[in-house]
Amino acid sequence: MSTSQVISSRRSLGETGGRILRYTLSERVLHWLAAITYIYCLITGLAFWSPYFYWLATLVGGGPTARFWHPWFGLGFTLAVFWMYTIWRRDMQTTGADRRWSKAVKYYIENEDEKLPPIGRFNYGQKLFFWLMFYGVILLLISGVGLWYVESIPWSLRWLRYLAITVHVVAALATIGGFIIHVYMGTAMVRGGFTSIVRGEVTANWARTHHRLWYERVTKGAPADSESGRRL
Amino acid sequence: MTNGWIDIKNADMMLVMGGNPAENHPCGFKWVIEAKKTRNAKLIVVDPRYTRTAATSDLFLQIRAGADIAFLGGVLRYAIENNRVAREYLANYTNASFIVKDGFKLPEDGLYSGFDAASQTYDRSSWNYEEGNDSGGAAPTHTAAKAASGPGAPPPLPPMPAKVAYDLTLQHPRCVFQLLRQQYSRYTPEMVERITGIPKEQFLKAADLYTSIRKDGDMKKVGTILYAVGWTQHTFGTQIIRTAAILQLLLGNVGRAGGGVNALRGHSNIQGATDMGGVFDIWPGYLKVPNPADTDLPAYLKRITPTASKPAPWESFNYWSNTPKFAISYLKAMFGDAAKKENDFAFHYMPKVDRDYSWAQIWDGMYRGSVKGLFAFGMNGVAIGPDSQKNIDALKKADFLVVGEIYPDETSEFWKSPGVTPEEMKTINTTVYRLPCAGFAEKDGSMTNSARWLQWKNVAIPPPGDARLDQDILAQIYLRIRELYQKEGGKFPDPILNLTWAYTSPQHPALGELTKELNGKALADLTDPKTQVTIKKGQQLPGFAWLKDDGTTSCGNWLYSGSWTEAGNQLIRRGTEDPSGQGIYQNWAWSWPANRRVLYNRASCDPSGKPYDPSRKQVWWNESAQAWVGNDVPDFKADSNPKDHMGPFIMNAEGVGRIFAPLAAFADGPLPEHYEPIESPVQNALHPKQSNNPVVKKFKTPADKYSTLGDGFNIVCTTYRLTEHYHYWTKNNPMNVQLIPEPFVEIPVELAAELGIKGNDKVKVTSARSYYVAKAFVTKRIRPMIIDGKKVYQIGIPIHQGYRGIQEDEGKDARTILNRLTPTVLDPNAHTPEFKGFMVKLEKA
Amino acid sequence: MSQATLAIRRISGHAGVAPGEGVERDYQVCKLVDTTTCIGCKACEVACLEWNGYEFSDTRFDNSYQTMPETTWKYWNLIKFNEHENSDGTISLLMRKDQCMHCADPGCLAACPADGAIVQYTNGIVDFQQQNCIGCGYCVSGCPFDIPKFNPATKKMFKCTLCVDRVSEGLEPACIKSCPTGCLHFGTKEDMKDLAETRATQLRDNFGFEKAGVYDPPGVGGTGVIYVLHDATNPEAYGGLPKDPHIPWVVRFWKGPAKWIGNLAMLGGIVGVTLHYLRFGPKQVDAEKHDDPTDEKGGRP
Repeated sequence: MSTSQVISSRRSLGETGGRILRYTLSERVLHWLAAITYIYCLITGLAFWSPYFYWLATLVGGGPTARFWHPWFGLGFTLAVFWMYTIWRRDMQTTGADRRWSKAVKYYIENEDEKLPPIGRFNYGQKLFFWLMFYGVILLLISGVGLWYVESIPWSLRWLRYLAITVHVVAALATIGGFIIHVYMGTAMVRGGFTSIVRGEVTANWARTHHRLWYERVTKGAPADSESGRRL
Repeated sequence: MTNGWIDIKNADMMLVMGGNPAENHPCGFKWVIEAKKTRNAKLIVVDPRYTRTAATSDLFLQIRAGADIAFLGGVLRYAIENNRVAREYLANYTNASFIVKDGFKLPEDGLYSGFDAASQTYDRSSWNYEEGNDSGGAAPTHTAAKAASGPGAPPPLPPMPAKVAYDLTLQHPRCVFQLLRQQYSRYTPEMVERITGIPKEQFLKAADLYTSIRKDGDMKKVGTILYAVGWTQHTFGTQIIRTAAILQLLLGNVGRAGGGVNALRGHSNIQGATDMGGVFDIWPGYLKVPNPADTDLPAYLKRITPTASKPAPWESFNYWSNTPKFAISYLKAMFGDAAKKENDFAFHYMPKVDRDYSWAQIWDGMYRGSVKGLFAFGMNGVAIGPDSQKNIDALKKADFLVVGEIYPDETSEFWKSPGVTPEEMKTINTTVYRLPCAGFAEKDGSMTNSARWLQWKNVAIPPPGDARLDQDILAQIYLRIRELYQKEGGKFPDPILNLTWAYTSPQHPALGELTKELNGKALADLTDPKTQVTIKKGQQLPGFAWLKDDGTTSCGNWLYSGSWTEAGNQLIRRGTEDPSGQGIYQNWAWSWPANRRVLYNRASCDPSGKPYDPSRKQVWWNESAQAWVGNDVPDFKADSNPKDHMGPFIMNAEGVGRIFAPLAAFADGPLPEHYEPIESPVQNALHPKQSNNPVVKKFKTPADKYSTLGDGFNIVCTTYRLTEHYHYWTKNNPMNVQLIPEPFVEIPVELAAELGIKGNDKVKVTSARSYYVAKAFVTKRIRPMIIDGKKVYQIGIPIHQGYRGIQEDEGKDARTILNRLTPTVLDPNAHTPEFKGFMVKLEKA
Repeated sequence: MSQATLAIRRISGHAGVAPGEGVERDYQVCKLVDTTTCIGCKACEVACLEWNGYEFSDTRFDNSYQTMPETTWKYWNLIKFNEHENSDGTISLLMRKDQCMHCADPGCLAACPADGAIVQYTNGIVDFQQQNCIGCGYCVSGCPFDIPKFNPATKKMFKCTLCVDRVSEGLEPACIKSCPTGCLHFGTKEDMKDLAETRATQLRDNFGFEKAGVYDPPGVGGTGVIYVLHDATNPEAYGGLPKDPHIPWVVRFWKGPAKWIGNLAMLGGIVGVTLHYLRFGPKQVDAEKHDDPTDEKGGRP
C-alpha cells in the first residue's frame, strides 16, 4: 500500500472541503477483521477472567462455545495483526516528527492541536498502539498455545504453565488498556476518525489538522519529513 | 495348608519362600498384613527377585533359584546351635528321639545309604528305625535277611518296627535329633553363602529373626512358612518342603494357630483336584493306587495300610489303619452293587498302575507315539510345558485332540503355532475337536481352597452360545462309550458297564448329587455300638468315622465325608461367627477333615493338654469331661487322656511328626540334602561329584536337551506369574491385558549394562531347548550374585503370554511361549517339572 | 455428576457466595492409603474402571509394572511404582495409588472460570460437573498434583470423583471396596487421621521405619486422600508425590489480587477516557464548516 494511491483519489486535491482517501478498502477490511476478532476474544476472555463477567459467555453461545472459539478467534486476530504489520510497518516507524510531537503531547490531550508540531500519516500514539497490539498478540499467541494445550506441557516443566498464565493475563490487560483508549479516540474524541475507518475518507481539513505532513505529501508530493523521503 | 488363610493373622513370624503371595494370592495375603498390623508380626521374604511380596517385608534376601534347601538347612543348623528349639515338643511330638537303624548313612558324599547307581534308585531298607524293647531302649537287633533284589520288581521294604527304640535325652548318636544336627552341621553360614549367594551377615540376620520366636525356649510365639510352586518346581521340590516341615517341627510351630507349613495353591481348586485324585498315583482321599503286585484286595490293603510304629510306652492313633474302610467304601461308591465281597469289591475293575504316568510322561509318550490322543479340559497343555515345543511336536503326532475351553488356546491351535509352515500344516493329521465349555461363573459346584475349605458356588449366568458344562460333556461321552460296550462288548467291559451312574439326569449329572456321592451314605442300617445312634439305610453319613470295610457304606472320598450330610449341603454355609477371634469360622463352608481348620491341633498344647499360648487357645484337654474340646475341632482321638501319651500326628504310624522320614516315604532321602538343579551355574559345593539329585532321571527323546556347565548357558532363569494375569487365560481379557500388555524379561541393571540392553529393548533368551523373545525390563530388583566365588546373574520371565490372546492376535508381541525354554525333568516324589532355576543365554534381539 | 443429597460448600467460577457455604457438617470423608501395605495388585485400578464404566486402554509395556505413565481422563486411579534405592544400598519397591487428592483448598476449583464446573461438597469431595465444564484446562494449572485430564472428544475435564455417587448413597468408593489387603480405608477425616497416625507410630516403634509418617499436606489445607509413608520426609520417592504442595502462587495471584488489579485498571481506563471527554471534549477540526463531521453528505459536492 502506498500513499501514491491516495493521491489518485477522484477528489480534486488541495481543494478546501475536498476529501482524501485515508484508508483503502483492504485496510478497512483488515481493521475490522482485527476489531471483530479482538472484541470476540475480549468478551470471551473477560468471561474466563472473572465470575463477574462470566455472563458475557452467554452472549456468544455459552461457556463451552466461548472456550472453543476463543483460541480460533485469537488466531484470526493474530493473522490480522501480522497482516497489518506487513502493510503498515513502514508507516509505523517512529520519526523525528513523532519525537517532537510526543514532547508536545500535552497539547494533543488538551485539544490544543494547533500548538502541536506537524506529523505524518499516523501520530505517535497511534504508532504506540500499533506496536502494543503487535507485541501483545505475539505474547498472547505463545502463551495462548500453552494454555490451549496445557496438558502437553510436561509436569516437570509446569513452570511454563504458570508463565503462560502470567503472560496471557498481562498481555491481555495491556491490550485492553490500549483498546479502551483506541476506541475512545476513534469514536468519541477524534471526530472524523471513525468515518475514516468505515468509509476510508477524511476531509482535507481534517488531514491538514491532524496529519499535516501526510496531507502535504499526498497533495503536493513535497518531501516534508523522513516519512516522505521513502519511495512513494 | 496345615493351617488356613485366615489363620495367618495369628502368626508372630512369617517366612515366605518359593512363593509370591502378594502377587499371586493377593486376597489371602491380607492375613499377612493383618498379622503385621495387629501382632507386629515380622515378614521375611526369600526369593530370587525382589517381588511385590518383598515390598511389604521386614527383611528380604535374594536367593539363587534352587538353593532353598541350603538356606533352610542353614537355619536348621542355626536353630540347633543356638538352642532355639522347642525341646519338649521335639521330644514328645516328633521322632527326634527315635533311634535310627545302624547302617543308615547320611549323604556327606551326596548319597544316602543304599544307592544303586545302575538303576539310579535307593534300596531304602536301611532308612528305618531301630527296634526297641518295652522300656524304650534298643532291643537286640534282629538282622533281617536282606532281600535279594530280583530283576524288575523292587524288593519289598521291611516294615517299621512296632516298638521303636528311642532316647528322650536326644543324645543317642543315632537318634534322629543327632542325625539332624550332623546332617546340617555342614550347612554353615559360609556354606549357605557359597550356595545361595546370600551374604553371610544377611543370612544370619534372617536366621536370627526367624528363630527368635523360640528365644530362651519360650513357646508362646508362633512362626509360619508360606510357599508355593517356587518350592515344588524343582528336582528336589518335595525335599525343600520337607526341610521347611522339619524346621517347623524343630521350632514347635506345627499344629499351632499362626504356624504350620502352608502351601499356597495356584488355582482356585487345585487343592480339590489333588484331594479328588487328579493325579495318577492316588485315589480320592490320598489312597495309594494299586500296582500290579497287588494280586487281590487283601494284598493291596495290607500294602497300603500302615501299622503303628512307636516307642512302647506311647500310643499312636495311626488313623491310616482305617484305610480298608476308606478304600472299600470308595469301591462301593464307584461300582455300587457290582462291588461285592465275593469279587473283592470290584477291586480288579480299577487299573493297576505300573509306573510313572505323570504329566510329563503323558507328553513324552505322545512324542514317542505311544499316546494317541488327549482330552484337555480346563488347562492349556502346550503353554503349561515344560518344553512347550516338545508338547507341540507331540500333538502333531497324535490322532486326536479334544479341547474343552472357554477361549481358543495355544493347545487347540498348536497346528498353527509360530514356525509351522503351510506345507507342514498339511502334514499334521491330528483331528482337533474344540468344545466350548462353561466358565467358572457359569457352573455351580464347589472349589476347595488352599485352606482345605470346600466352598459351594451358585451359577451366576448360563453358559453363552453352544458352550456346555464340562460334566455334561464328560457324562455324554461316558454314556456313549457305555452304549458301545453294551452293544459290542469288549475285552473287559465290566468296569464301564458297572460304573455307578445313578444321577437323576444321567446326561446332565448335577454336581450336588456328585457331592452327596463323595460324602457317602449308608447301604444298610448302621448303629454306633457306643452311642447307639443309628443311621438308616440310604441316609447320608455324618462323617468318615462311620465308614465300614464290609460294604455297608459307600463314600467317594473319605476326606470329604461330612460335607453333605442329612443336614444338607455343608459347603454352602456362610456363618460368620468367630467366638474365639482366631479366624476359625466353624460355620463358614466346610473344611476337610471333619471341619477342622488347623491340622494336628493337639500339638498346640503341651503334653499335659494345656495350650502353649493361653491367648490363642485352639483345643485343650477337659479333665472333667475326659475329652478334648476347643474352639476348633480337635484333630485327635477325642477321649485320649494326655497321660496315655498319644502322638498328635495321628496320620503318621508313629503318631509323631517325622523329622526323619523312614523307608518308602520319599524316593530321594529321609532327610533333605541340597542338590543343584539339573541345569546349574556351579557344581554342588557340598559334594561336587554328586551335584544333582541322584535319583532324578533325564528324559531321552531328541527333544530333551539339557545344558551342562561350561557350554555357554550362564544365566540362571526363573519363571513366575504376575498379579495382573491368571495363567494363560487373562490374555483374552482386555481389563487384564491393559495392566500388563506385553511379555517381558526382568534383567538386572548390571547385566543389561554389560550386554548393552536398555529398558523396552527386544531381547532373546535361549536355553538348550529353544528361545523366547520379549521386551527387556531392566530392574534394580534383581541383583548380581556371587555363587561359590563366581559372579552369577539371574533373570526372571512371567509365564503368561503366548501366541493366542488379544495382543498376540494383533501381532503385538513376539508370540513365543515361555515354557519353550524349560527342561523336562521331574521331582522324583511329586513328578513336578523343574520350571525354576534353569540355564539360559541372553542377547539383544 | 451432581448429587442432590450432598450439600455444596464451594463452587468454581461463581460470582458471590456458594449456597451451603458456612453450613457446618459433622464430618468430612477421607480415603486412607497405607503405602506400607500396598501390594500393587491394581485391583483398585480395575474397580475404578468398572464402576465408572471405562474400558480398555491400549497400553504399552514401559520398563515397569506401572500400567501407564500418568492417569488419563478415563483412567483415574493409577498405582505408581518406583524402584527406590535406600541409603543402605537395599531396594524398596514403592507403590502408591495416585488419584485426585480432594484437597480442602482445591487448586482446580480456584483456577476454574466456569460457574459450577467444579464443586466441593460439604463432605470434602471435590467433583467436576461436566455439564458446566467449558474444557479450558485452567484446573490443570491449578492442581498441584497433576490430576485433571482433558477428554478431547467431549472437550470436558475428568478426574476421580471419590465415587461421589457411591459415597452419597452411603457406600465406600469402588477402589476401597476392591482392595484385598486392607491398605485402603475410608471414613471420616478424623478417623482416618487417627488410623494413619496409629499405623505410622507402629511403623516407627515396631518396624524400624523411623521416618514413617502421614501425608496430609497443609499447603492445600489437608487432603481428602491421605497416605501413610515409610519415609514421610521423602514423598517424592512415591511416584512424585509433592513434598509441600500448594496452589501455585501464580494461580493464587491470578485468581486473587490480579483480578482486582486488572478490573480496577480496566475500570480506570474507562473512567479516564470518560473524564477526558467531559473535560476536553472531542477534537472537531471540521466543526466550523460542518455541524457533524461524521456526516459524510455534508462534505460532498
